Amino acid sequence: MPIMTISEALRSTLIQLMQNDDHITLLGEDLSMGVFGVTSGLDREFGNDRVINTPISETAFVGMGIGAAMTGLKPIIEVMFCDFMGVCFDQILNQAAKTHFLSGGNIDIPLVIRTTMGAGDGSGAMHSQSLHGLLMQIPGLIIACPATPADASGLLKTAAQSNTPVIFMEHKGLYAMTGEVDLEIPPIPFGKGRVVKEGADVTIVAVSKMNHVSLEAAQVLASDGISVEIIDPRTISPLDTRIIADSIRKTGRLIVVDEGAAIAGFADHVISNVVENSFDVLRNAPRKIAPPHTPIPYGRSAEAVWLPNTNIIVDAVRDLMRSDNE
Amino acid sequence: MEIDDLKTIFADAWFIRAFEDCVAALSDAGKIPGLVHLSHGSEVADVMLRRHLQPAIDKITGSHRSHSLALIGNIDPIALAAEVMGLSGGTGNGLGGTQHIVSKDTLFLSSNGIVGAQVPIALGAALSARRLENSGIAVAVFGEGASNQGGVFESFNMATALHLPILFLMQNNQMAQSTHVKDVAVVNLTARARSFGMVAEQVDGADIVSLENTFERLIQYIRETSSPVFVEVSVPRLGGHYHGDQSCDGQSKVDPLVNLQKLLQAQDMHDEEIQTIIDDAKARAKNAVDEAQKQRDQSGESLKRYINDHPQLMGNL
Ligand SMILES: Cc1ncc(C[n+]2csc(CCOP(=O)(O)OP(=O)(O)O)c2C)c(N)n1
Repeated sequence: MPIMTISEALRSTLIQLMQNDDHITLLGEDLSMGVFGVTSGLDREFGNDRVINTPISETAFVGMGIGAAMTGLKPIIEVMFCDFMGVCFDQILNQAAKTHFLSGGNIDIPLVIRTTMGAGDGSGAMHSQSLHGLLMQIPGLIIACPATPADASGLLKTAAQSNTPVIFMEHKGLYAMTGEVDLEIPPIPFGKGRVVKEGADVTIVAVSKMNHVSLEAAQVLASDGISVEIIDPRTISPLDTRIIADSIRKTGRLIVVDEGAAIAGFADHVISNVVENSFDVLRNAPRKIAPPHTPIPYGRSAEAVWLPNTNIIVDAVRDLMRSDNE
Repeated sequence: MEIDDLKTIFADAWFIRAFEDCVAALSDAGKIPGLVHLSHGSEVADVMLRRHLQPAIDKITGSHRSHSLALIGNIDPIALAAEVMGLSGGTGNGLGGTQHIVSKDTLFLSSNGIVGAQVPIALGAALSARRLENSGIAVAVFGEGASNQGGVFESFNMATALHLPILFLMQNNQMAQSTHVKDVAVVNLTARARSFGMVAEQVDGADIVSLENTFERLIQYIRETSSPVFVEVSVPRLGGHYHGDQSCDGQSKVDPLVNLQKLLQAQDMHDEEIQTIIDDAKARAKNAVDEAQKQRDQSGESLKRYINDHPQLMGNL
C-alpha cells in the first residue's frame, strides 16, 4: 500500500472522486495554488470550470455552493481556515444546515465544506481555532475530523456521497503526517469510530491532532503499567456513542482530550453523554483536557501553554487512576 | 402584446392578489402560525417576469416576501397555502413555513428568512446552469433593503467575475420594514449595481410595456452571453411590512393592478368581462386555499418522520 501524507491522500482522493463524477466542482480561494497543497494544480487537470478560484467572498461562494448543490452539482468548497467561517456564518448556520429540513427532506444538499483547524504553528488567534464543537451544535451539519491519511481519504469519499452538508475539518498540523492509504478501500461510514489502541484502565476519546497527542501519552503511561484505550470517533456528528460506551464499560474511566472549546464543546458533549448513559459503570468523574477559555495566543511559550500536551494527559491519567470512587 | 396577453397577465396577477387576500384572512382567523409578508403591489411585475422564464431550466430564489414568486414559479397553490398554514401537503410538510418555501424541480427554488441570503444561493443555480450547459438562468429577487447586505455586494462581484447567467432583480418598494431607502443609501442603487461591471436598468413596475421590453431584452442577453444583469423594479408596498403591521410610509400609491385594469378599459374591454376575470381569479384562489385547509396539521408527524429517517443528522448515533 502506498504511503502518503494527509495532504497527498486528500489530493489523490479528490482526483479520484472528480474523475468518477463530473458534477463535483471545487470552489474556493487560491485553489490552483493550494495553500496546503491539497488542490494545487487541479485546475490544470480538470479545467477552471470545475476548479473555480473565487474572489475573497466567503458568503458569496458558500452560498453559491449551496445553490449549486440544490440544482444538480456536487460542490466541494474550501474555506481556508475555519476561523473565516465567521464572515459567512449565515450561509452555514441558516442556509446549508437548514435547507434540507425546511424542504421536509425533499431536496438534497450534496455539499462538502473542507476547512482547516488547529493551533501550534504560530498562526495566532484568527488562523488557528478548532471550531468543530461550535459547528456540531448546529442541527443539519455532519462534522468529520480525520486524524490519519487513510481516514482522511475514506471520510472524504463518504462526504462526497452525502446528500446533506458535511463540514470536513483538516488539521493544519497533520497535513504532513504519513500513513498507508489504500485508495481502493470503500468509504468510511459516518458515525463509526475507531479503537486506535486497546487498553484496560482508562478510555481517552480524542479526534484529529489530539488523538496523536493522546497516543504519545499512552505510550509513556504504558511504562507505568497503565493501559490506556484510545478512541477516535472520526466524525463528531454523528458521534459513535456506542464505541465510547463499550470502552467505558471495560475501563470505567474517561478522559476527553480536545483542542476545541473548554465550555460546551466536543469534550463536554462526550462527557455528558457518558454520564447520562454509562453512569453505573464509571469508577470516578470523567475529565476534560481542553485549552483555557481564551483566544489562541501568539508567542511560542504562550501557545505551548495553551495547547493540551502529552505531559498534561499523563498527569491527568495518573491522577485519575489514584482517585477511584469507593 | 395582444389584448389576450393583457387579459392573461391581468388574470394571473389577480389570482396572486386574491390568493394572498385569502392568506390574510386565514391569518386574521388565527390559522397561520406566524407572521406573513404579502406581495401586494409586485404581482404584475412578477407575472411579467414569468413570461420570459423557462421553468424547466431557470430558477428563482426569493426573500421572506415570496408567495407571489412561488406562484409564478410553478409551486402548486394548494401546497403553498398548506405550507403557509404549516399543514401536511405543504412544500416542506409544514416544517418550513411562509418564509422557507423550498422546492425541487420547479422554477421557484427557495425563499429565505434571512434578508439577502437568497442572493448568493442564486449564484449557485446560475453556476449549475452554466455547467450543465442548458442555457438556464437564475433570478435572485430581493428588496432594496437587502441590497445593502454585504453578501449581495459579494454576489454582484462574483457574478461579474465568473460570468454567471443571473438576473439580480431588486424590487424597490422604498421601505425596509420601517426604514426608508433614502435614509440608508445615498446613491442611486441601479448606478451602484452598474459600478460592479454589469448591465443595470431601472423599470417602473406598473408599466407593463416597459416591463415586457426590459425583461425580454435583458433575459435574452443573459442567456446568450452568460452575463449577469441587474434590474431595479419600482413596486409599491401596498400594505404594512407584514399583514397586520399598521406602520406605513404615508405615501399615496398607485396599485399596478388598477393601472392594468385601466389599460384594459382603454382597449375597449367591457367592465363585465373584467369583473368576470377578477371573480374567476378569486374563485380559483379560494378553491386552492379551501383545498389546503382540508389538510391536517401533521407537522408533528413530519418532524418525527424526519428524525427517524435521518439518524445521521441527529448528533448521536
Ligand atoms: C439578516 C436579517 N436582518 C433583518 C431581518 C428582519 N427583516 C425582515 S424583512 C426586513 C426588511 C427587508 O426589506 P427589503 O429587503 O426592502 O424587502 P421588503 O420587506 O421591502 O420586501 C427586515 C429588516 C432579517 N429577516 N434578516
